[in-house]
Amino acid sequence: MRRLLVAVAAAALALTACGSGETGGDGKVTITFWDNNGGPARTPIYEELIKRFETANPDIHVEYVGIPSASVQQKYDTAIAGGETPDVGGVTTSYLAHLVGQEALAPVDDRINGGPLKDRLLPSLVETVRQTAPDGKLYIVPSSANMDIIWYRTDWFKDAGIEPPKTWDEFVTAATKLTDTAANKYGYTIRGGAGSVFQLITEAYAYSGVDNFYKGGQSTLNDKANAELVDKVADLYKKATPEADVNNSFTQMIAQFTGGSVAMMHHNLGSYSDVTKALGDKVAAIPLPVGPSGKRTIVPNPTDGFAVFKNSEHPDAAWKFAEFLTSAESNSYWNEKVGQIPANTDVRSAAWIDKAAHVKMALDVLEDPATVLVPAPVYLPQYSSITKTDSEPQYQKVLLGELSGQQFLDEMAKKLTEAQKEWEERK
Amino acid sequence: MRTRTWAPYALIAPTLVLMGVFLIYPIGSVVYYSLQRYNVTQPWKNGFAGLDNFKQMLFDDPLFWQSLAFSAKWVFVEVGLQLLLGLILALVVNETFIGRGVARALVFSPWAVSGVLTTGIWILLLNPSTGIFQELSELGIGSPGTSVLGNPETVFDALVVTELWRGVPFFAILLLADLQSIPKDLYEAASVDGASRWRRFTSVTLPHLKDAIILSTLLRAVWEFNNVDLIYTLTGGGPANQTTTLPLYVARQAVDSHNFGYGSALTVAGFLILLFFSILYLRLSKFGSRA
Repeated sequence: MRRLLVAVAAAALALTACGSGETGGDGKVTITFWDNNGGPARTPIYEELIKRFETANPDIHVEYVGIPSASVQQKYDTAIAGGETPDVGGVTTSYLAHLVGQEALAPVDDRINGGPLKDRLLPSLVETVRQTAPDGKLYIVPSSANMDIIWYRTDWFKDAGIEPPKTWDEFVTAATKLTDTAANKYGYTIRGGAGSVFQLITEAYAYSGVDNFYKGGQSTLNDKANAELVDKVADLYKKATPEADVNNSFTQMIAQFTGGSVAMMHHNLGSYSDVTKALGDKVAAIPLPVGPSGKRTIVPNPTDGFAVFKNSEHPDAAWKFAEFLTSAESNSYWNEKVGQIPANTDVRSAAWIDKAAHVKMALDVLEDPATVLVPAPVYLPQYSSITKTDSEPQYQKVLLGELSGQQFLDEMAKKLTEAQKEWEERK
Repeated sequence: MRTRTWAPYALIAPTLVLMGVFLIYPIGSVVYYSLQRYNVTQPWKNGFAGLDNFKQMLFDDPLFWQSLAFSAKWVFVEVGLQLLLGLILALVVNETFIGRGVARALVFSPWAVSGVLTTGIWILLLNPSTGIFQELSELGIGSPGTSVLGNPETVFDALVVTELWRGVPFFAILLLADLQSIPKDLYEAASVDGASRWRRFTSVTLPHLKDAIILSTLLRAVWEFNNVDLIYTLTGGGPANQTTTLPLYVARQAVDSHNFGYGSALTVAGFLILLFFSILYLRLSKFGSRA
């Protein structure tokens, strides 16, 4: 029964990915590339890069397939089950472990070390990618990093005569001060719907300064200071935020911010083009506020990268393309357009970085030796079901005052500890 | 003579094949997976699970019971109100008055709007900063920023109203069609016998509508039980699971968490519940029997 299902799904996919691995009569090799975030914003960037690649490598033809980010994991799953994977694919660390678990990817350690990318990739990103795989190998070449930040309205802050907040207390003061419910203006917007808990976790660690996700096999998520932060966020709900926030997914949250009814929004560098298109220079970014400890702790966002699939009939051509996409020139072009942190360290000196204040700010934070990275265990197969399916409705209870921050985190930490134990045993 | 023996089978074969492909195979595969541990994120755990999924569902999953209770409340309130309002509307537009054609068209128009558009319209209407409640607050009614979908006290009513807007026309169309098939002389005879308007309604109209009412409420109850699109797009089952129906819970387990085994078990439970109540309902209402 399952076979038939897989066969039907694979047939459907094959239609979109046809031509994969074919060698034309003229000796030209065709490879398929799946963009894991296809759409009007990213597709033209890849079209340009592919054009450049094909000019430099006339014997390789790249077939571009853009896949919406929301369904990409499912598409990869079906492709793996049907044996119709692309040659190269955009893959982020949030589902990398899942693909590695299905033995779909080829490790790229040797290829990186044997080519021009050796020692040219941000060490913190390489480390994040390594930690995601159970065997510690690199299954994607990292290309770009993202970071959680607070976007804020420079004009509102100027008018009110306040400085952008550095600590959480300053943040609360600013959010409260900038709120005028009668005029439908709010200091902050909480993401209470889909995707809420991942953001909350980054806020919690930024506040608590706890420097490791696990201590002695136990999840530190329910640390007292983390719970304190959760309660502080919940306190802001309805006082300094719209009531509708409890259902906010990314779409509604960003609509409130770009629509001009909110002063501060927690998201990441990825929303750069959305916020600047709507608000121009009236918006800027600051790092997540720190807590009383003053320590800067960051839960890194999923790292973007390119994977070469095991089933590829032209692995060398596939790698050539992945390597090209991560070269200083391509990597600079891509990250400048998208507004994210380039993985290739040679791009650090590119002129655009000094102009892109938000990228520079993020790079400065990442390169600051005092910054501690606390990667979330996205490699756990249950990570998404624990933090999303199980916990997002619970977080809404916290916002509605039906559950305390501590109870909420205790429940989630218990599941994460169990999942980690299971993972260690399988390793 | 021989040729006649296969002819009937050949004639029903297309129907049987279609039913096999679109009904029996999917139902069979759901039942099969409900007895399996099948989660694509943890493939090494996959295998035969026996009744474990059902045990977990019945004894160890408060959300199953909560979503089931919400589904029951949802079906009961929705179908009851839709029937009542649909019947009233059908009776009104069945009368002769000026502008009846326009009135009928207006009554039926929501049914012609696709589900995606309906939810799109209501998302805009209920939007706290641009929708009706913003307009009202500018007139001094209520407070600005009122989010009926974010407030646990109002979210159920808001959903009910939205679904009524789409569901009432269904009953109105069906009942009006049946109303028009009632012979006029029955009413005339009843009037001659001195029956009041109310008496004519209870003794002529209602008995005649009985089968239509039974069938439409049953169909609608099944649809409302399986309703996913509207609630999913308006609240996603929130806030805090307060509007999670059983099918929404299935979607979350199977689609979001990739836990297809458990999701299938939940689906089987929903299927059995619907089957049981459908049969019971048809039996109790003596559907199809003319008294």
